[in-house]
Amino acid sequence: MKPTTQLSYLVAVIACSLLLGGCGGSGDEVTESVPEQIYPDYTDVTALGGDTTTFDASTSGHGFSTPAPNLNAPGLAQHLAGDVNFETAFTTAPNSEHPDLDGLGPVFNNADCNSCHQRDGRNSTPIVPVGKARIKLGSDAGIFLRISKAPNQPCVTGTAANNYCAPIPVPNFGGQLFHRGVLKARADWEQNLFGGQADVYLSYETKVVSYPDGSQVTLKKPLFAVENPFDAPGETKQSSNLTSNLLQDDVLMGWRNGMPVFGLGLLEAIPEADILALVDENDTNGDKISGRANYVFDAVKAQKGDTHPVSLGRFGWKANTPSVRVQSLGALRGDIGITNPLFPDESIAGTSMHDSYLTRTGFVDSGSDEHGAPEASAAFSDDVVFYAETLAVPARRNSGNADVREGARLFELVNCSGCHQPRFVTKSTGEIGGKPMAEALKGQTIYPFSDMLLHDMGDELADGRPDFLANGNEWRTRPLWGIGLTKTVNPQAGFLHDGRAATIEEAILWHGGEAQTSTDKFMALSVTERTQLIDFVMSL
Amino acid sequence: MKQLTYSAIALALISTLAACGGSGSDDSTVVVPDNRFSFVATEMITNLNDEVIVSGYSALANRGEALYQATQTLVASPSQANLVAAQDAWKAARQPWEQGESHIFGPVDSLGIDPHLDSWPLNTTDLKTVLATTSGFDAETIKGWNDDVQGFHTMEFLLFGDGIADNSKDIGQMTASERDYLMGLAEVFRDYTKILADSWTVSHDGQTGLAYGELVKNPGVAGNTFYSSQVGVVEELVNGMIGIVDEVGNGKIADPFGTSIDTADTSKVESQYSWNSLTDFSDNIIGVRNIYQGELTGEADKQGLVDFVKAADSVLATRISSEIDDAIIQIRAIAGTNNMPFRQAIKDTEGRERVQKAIDALSTLQASLENDLLPLLKKWAV
Repeated sequence: MKPTTQLSYLVAVIACSLLLGGCGGSGDEVTESVPEQIYPDYTDVTALGGDTTTFDASTSGHGFSTPAPNLNAPGLAQHLAGDVNFETAFTTAPNSEHPDLDGLGPVFNNADCNSCHQRDGRNSTPIVPVGKARIKLGSDAGIFLRISKAPNQPCVTGTAANNYCAPIPVPNFGGQLFHRGVLKARADWEQNLFGGQADVYLSYETKVVSYPDGSQVTLKKPLFAVENPFDAPGETKQSSNLTSNLLQDDVLMGWRNGMPVFGLGLLEAIPEADILALVDENDTNGDKISGRANYVFDAVKAQKGDTHPVSLGRFGWKANTPSVRVQSLGALRGDIGITNPLFPDESIAGTSMHDSYLTRTGFVDSGSDEHGAPEASAAFSDDVVFYAETLAVPARRNSGNADVREGARLFELVNCSGCHQPRFVTKSTGEIGGKPMAEALKGQTIYPFSDMLLHDMGDELADGRPDFLANGNEWRTRPLWGIGLTKTVNPQAGFLHDGRAATIEEAILWHGGEAQTSTDKFMALSVTERTQLIDFVMSL
Repeated sequence: MKQLTYSAIALALISTLAACGGSGSDDSTVVVPDNRFSFVATEMITNLNDEVIVSGYSALANRGEALYQATQTLVASPSQANLVAAQDAWKAARQPWEQGESHIFGPVDSLGIDPHLDSWPLNTTDLKTVLATTSGFDAETIKGWNDDVQGFHTMEFLLFGDGIADNSKDIGQMTASERDYLMGLAEVFRDYTKILADSWTVSHDGQTGLAYGELVKNPGVAGNTFYSSQVGVVEELVNGMIGIVDEVGNGKIADPFGTSIDTADTSKVESQYSWNSLTDFSDNIIGVRNIYQGELTGEADKQGLVDFVKAADSVLATRISSEIDDAIIQIRAIAGTNNMPFRQAIKDTEGRERVQKAIDALSTLQASLENDLLPLLKKWAV
């Protein structure tokens, strides 16, 4: 991935050794040399988000939920307004008591942002109770399925004719499976109260991984089953003569978890050239790590009339959205069903389900109110985007600990940093998401530990779904900042795109493909060294 | 931050050099710079976990069971007395829940219990349709439905009516379907409050995970990936207090209060059907007092955050105690001399003056917690 190593190393003698060296007292000449270690220059950095770093909430469950401390007064006011919007729960339209809160769905995955980004972090990993084989996803699930049709051949160059290599929607369904609905969303609502496009069930399978030293870890992987689609009630994959569009063999599906939403404005403010400088598609440096850029449809550019509305993908598990604005407002319209100025049409507009819903109920839920305006106003939308752009990055914990420092050295030795690129400097001018960038985000030296690029992570992690230029095995490198607070923020949170890893160790062990060499090196470490490396990651 | 960094380095040097002494005769003498203070938090954290948080969730679970039983009685024997008994059981369950909002972290969030129990707004349109078209409600089915037709406020609507003219309901106005659905909701409520209580004392995920209370009481031990230090736990508690004071002052009260009597919006009032709003708000701040003082109202003195603050600044400790009490007093005073409910007070000229005093008191308290208490964490020589 990195053509040449760009890290400058700080040669440091262990501080404690120096100090203790001064304690001798006897005056004897000590000739035994103290071994020197080379620590990467990020070893002792604490302010991972530059001036946007919070030190007031960096050890507790509030660590992802604090406004950037360097916001000016108007910025803070807008951030706090967006905070309220982020937690706003929407209801079925029309709601005469709360008309400002109606418009939910009619099919959706959750009723508010917070349910998929609990306390601004990851959602809870669903629990299958003891004695049950599977659970049906309901109101407490923050996970959902992305769906698309398998392309006949890989899409390599995005054009208007091929919709810029966007995933091919499942006819009459779309690109995301909405497993929930308002009361009468389905034509057969009396048999499926609050039913969505289909019922989704989750179960787990497990496997055991053994280290060379004999120790073992049990890994679990969530599986899905989709049943009872609205276009063929009662059908399952095992039904004969399948008629549902959703259950056809060429429909691809993959789990998606909610991601933490802090520090996002900083990631968008990384100069594009600095990300592209890390691309090594043909692995010219022979480290078995490539790193590819995704180029995706940009709704902001399209709305402004750009004739080639394509941008570098930065957000989403496959870097399939270009900006916090597109990501956030796309989720507002998709996950919740609240149309907004960037996405004014319901995500299921034009499907038979939506047509039937409007006909049956006469409800005003075509995505616009009686004046033709989207369900969320421009101010509401701008504020919630700004909120996600300006959440503080939590400071590190335990950064001076000797084991943590040693872990930083091992992190480099194992080449985790081959993809988890430590450092960037954000741009000092320009826009993000087509709007002026907050002053607080400009010119910050940040340590996200992500190269923002796509990598083949192996078959075990693959969902097989291409997404713009990302193939079915590729995922964007997850930033590691704040990752040690994950369980503090949400004790039930998991790691990776489907929450399958309950711990950092499990997440590492799932790394395959381009990361396989690093995983092998990690597994070859002693248990003490593995713990040190994990301690370092937990300190981020 | 420069000062903190300097102090931290100084302390590290002192600690390291102290380890060189050899004789051990001076081990008890640790030089602490002037801007730092010492406090051993173990007893405080244990007490707050056991006697405030866990005790509160235990009370909630017991009252959840009592509420379920009251609804069973109401279904079996519909009468005005049994309806009032169910209303009282709802209010009784509301108290520990609202007090617990001062520490709304951990399983109450990760297990999705907060939205299941306390979602707002209520979806009366869907609720009425469900009641008109469905029968034979069972708890497991209801759990799969949307949160805006279950939980506290749906039960409140069924028990008290729409709350516009009054907060009473005649048993003759309550249909059999409403009673059945209420009982189903109460069973769901009972189940979730039991799960919440167990998550702190048995297992945080209901499976192999440790009790959340054990994770809180043992920060920084090997394998505890939830809390890396006692600082984290105290930071959690302090920020929890700040969060609810902010929510009550700037959300629950300020949102419906609006900027003028004309913009006041009763539809935004919490617990508007039962007219329990002021009790909710004061219970929220009593919850803050519980964490700060370390004991529930009326119980013997135990260690709380006040002891932590005292170790750094006894004057500040006393001031915050007074500000918490004043906030509770001002919230209760909104009712005036004629027991005016909050939804009426925001539409009343004199009532609005009293509401403003409560907002001001909460603002004062919030400022002290944010600007004076929270920074103590950086001066704590833990």
